[in-house]
This record gives sequence, C-alpha cells and structure tokens, in this order.
Amino acid sequence: MTLPAKAFQRWLQGIAPDASTADVCRISGIKRTTLAQQLVRGKVSVSTVVSISRAYNVNPLSALATFEAYQDLAGPQVPPTRCELVSQVSTPDILRAVLARPAMEPAGSGTASPPLSAAPHATSVKNWVDAIDDGEVRHRVSAATGVAPQNYSAQLTANRLSPELALATALAAGVGPAGGLVATGLITEEEAGWPPGARQAALDSLSDGDLTALAGDRLQALGKVLRRQEQDQAQTEKIWENLG
Amino acid sequence: MIEILQWSTLATCGLIAAARVPSAIRGENRSLFYIFGLMTVAILLSIEAPYVAIDQALGGINLANLLLRFIIFAAIYFVGIRVTRGFGADSAYRLITGKAGMVVLLVISLALMVLFFMMDTVGSSAGLAAVSEKSERNFVLVEYYGAAGRAYPAYISLVLLPAMVRAVRSRLPLLVRVAAALLATGGVAIALTLLFPAVPPEWGAAEFVINYTAVLCFVLGLALIWAARVRSSRTSPAKRTYTEK
Repeated sequence: MTLPAKAFQRWLQGIAPDASTADVCRISGIKRTTLAQQLVRGKVSVSTVVSISRAYNVNPLSALATFEAYQDLAGPQVPPTRCELVSQVSTPDILRAVLARPAMEPAGSGTASPPLSAAPHATSVKNWVDAIDDGEVRHRVSAATGVAPQNYSAQLTANRLSPELALATALAAGVGPAGGLVATGLITEEEAGWPPGARQAALDSLSDGDLTALAGDRLQALGKVLRRQEQDQAQTEKIWENLG
Repeated sequence: MIEILQWSTLATCGLIAAARVPSAIRGENRSLFYIFGLMTVAILLSIEAPYVAIDQALGGINLANLLLRFIIFAAIYFVGIRVTRGFGADSAYRLITGKAGMVVLLVISLALMVLFFMMDTVGSSAGLAAVSEKSERNFVLVEYYGAAGRAYPAYISLVLLPAMVRAVRSRLPLLVRVAAALLATGGVAIALTLLFPAVPPEWGAAEFVINYTAVLCFVLGLALIWAARVRSSRTSPAKRTYTEK
C-alpha cells in the first residue's frame, strides 16, 4: 500500500518548507520522473518517504508514523526480542558463530569472528516471520489485511514483504512494530532504535545447543531451496537439450 | 481472410524452418528442423494452388492429400517425442512411442488408406472438397477420412496436454511457460477438430481458424522455447542468489 499524495505533500511541507520538488529529488537521490509519477497517481511509495527523511536527517520511522496507515510506528520504541535479533543474523554469520564455539571445535577457538554483516540478509524476511510466529500469525495477518495466505507466503519465499504487511505482521505477533521494516531492509537497525551490538549479544547469549540447532534449521532450509533450484535448472536444461 | 491466415502461417513456419538450418547443419536437434520442415510442407499442401500443382504431378488422384496426412502424422509424432522428452513427461512418452501409441498410429493409418482407396478420388481438389461433392457415398467417405486424419494429431495433443498444463504452472523460465501454454492451446485446438463433423456447414470458417490456430500455436510454442534457449545462453548465466525462486 502506498501513501496518499496529499498527506505526503503536507508532510514534505513540514520538513522542507521551501524546497522545490527538484531540490527534494536531488538531495534524496530519487529520480524526478519517479516522484512526479507517484504524485500524479496520488500514491507515494513508502521508500520515497524513507529516502527523503534520510536526506533531511529525519528519522524515517517517525516520518512514517505521521501517516495514518503507519501511526502504529509512533510512540515509545519497543526493543526487539532476542528471537528477532537472531533472525536478522545471516546464515554465514551463524555458521561462523557455531564454529567459534569451543563446544564445536575445542582446538580452533580463540580466533575472533568478524563483525556481523548488516541486516537484512538473504532470508531475513522469512526468518523474521518464523522467529515471531506462534503458529497463528499468518492467519491473523491474513484476516487483518485481507491478503490471501498463499500471496503472503509467496512474498516470504521471495524474501520480500510489503511495508504494510510487515507492520501488520509485527502487530499480529505482538512485537515491536518496526522489526519487519528492518527485516525487509526498508530501514536500518539503528533507525529502528535497535541498540548497537544487540544482534551480536543475542547471538552470544544462545547456548551451544540452541545455536547449533538454529544453524541446523537454517542449513536445512537452505538445502531445500538449493535442491529445488537444482531440480528446476536440470529440468530447464533438459528442455533446452530436447527442444532448443 | 482465410487466404491471409494460410499464407502467413506458411511464411511463419517456413521462416522458422529456414532459421533452423544453421543449427541443423551443426547437428543440434535435427529433428526439430524436420518438424518445422514437415509442418511447412503440410501447410503448403493445404493451400489450394500449391496443392493442385503438386497433386497434378502425382497423377491428379489426390494422392497429395494422403501424403499430407502422413506428413502431419510424422510431424506431430516427432513433436510428441521431443516435447515429452524435454518436459520429462515419461508416461506421455510411453503413450506415444509404446505399444498403445503404435497401435493407435497403425489403426488410424490403415483406416486412412482403406478409406482413401474406397473413394473415387479423380480430380485434384484441396481438402477433397470436389471429391466429396461427387456422390453421397464419397461425401460420407470423405467425412470419415477427414476424421481419421485428425484422430492421430488429436491423440498426441491430448497425451501432451497434462504435461503442458503442469509446465505452465511450474517454476520454469517464463518464456518456456508461455511456450507450454501455446502448445497446450494448440493441443486443445487440435482436439476440437475432432468435433468438426458436428459443426454446422455455415461455420466452415471456424474450422479453418481452429486448424491454423493449432498449427501456429505449435510452431510458435516450439520456436519460443528455442528463443528462450538462445536468450539464456546469451545472457551470461547470472549469479543467482539462493532466495531467488
């Protein structure tokens, strides 16, 4: 869902009263045609607002909160849960963390692992939803937004989630409203108010067993995706071979 | 209108066949070149002027029509083999090349020849239209002959249909799925030709449209797969991330 152009103009007046559209585009790095088109259609995308607020040093989260559809983002920031934090650690980082544990490799410990790569990662959206899902979240999101469950799943599989679905998911799961926006890469951890080092701390707080099990789950999911890709690839090759 | 459809189908098919010559010389999937070549000849033989010319050379007893039927059989047989192999439809492949497929082909071919030689076929006429008007007996025989000629392509296309529907709904490249949809449409069109005897004569144009739709769908579908391959080999195999579907 997009933001109404009228509300957008009002908001833009508030943060950059004298700036022309051209100025705004230049400063925020948005293509002029893109913004013009969004304004003509009366639908401004959420990422436009995020880019502009970054350019004008406004927190994107509070900028979004001024729009009616995203007013749930206002108010005191809810700290992320440990599950959410861990879900935003990429699979390679998790595997490195496993190998750094003395329980895994008693001899090889001692090498400090490199800092975690920034969120989002290749499966961050799906991992985030899985982390906060009590088993019923998808149904509740579907009921609240009217988005069909299969469309929702398709977005997750593609590691995508529209901002309003990300917000609806967070609300349905009862976690901080900004978590999904971080997982989808719309805003950074810092902009969402996640303390620096929080992901590393969450990762470190996992017991050897939990961490290893988590790594196992991630690898299994990755294996499934890779195998499916290989099958698709093999099938395509076969078609080329016979009909190309 | 029908003339335009006929000649443009011929042109499309002929161009694709010509375009496949280089790869056929290189030895890549020669049978695909044969399919397009056979289809081109088949379309040529179904147009009045070239048909009459060729049939006169063959003795003027409409042997060209019988030839046309077998050319169609050969083309559709190869299409069936290639498509089932390519799309990994093993059971469909067995239905075409296995005992069932051979029995169907044999029975239909025999029926076709028996019916042909029972007719009084003197006088070249595309689609045997003039032959059919000669007598009541000839009219009935031409109807049966036509039905037999459509039966084998219909059998193959019905065998292919489930695999094509599966391919359309799969995660294969988009162009391949579009091609599968075209092949499925062509298959449905060919199956519809079985209903022609029940079609009132005033809808004759619809028969032409369905016939050529079928041929065009098959030819374009096969050409599209080829195009998809060319495209995929040209765009260097881009590194795919593991979340991409």
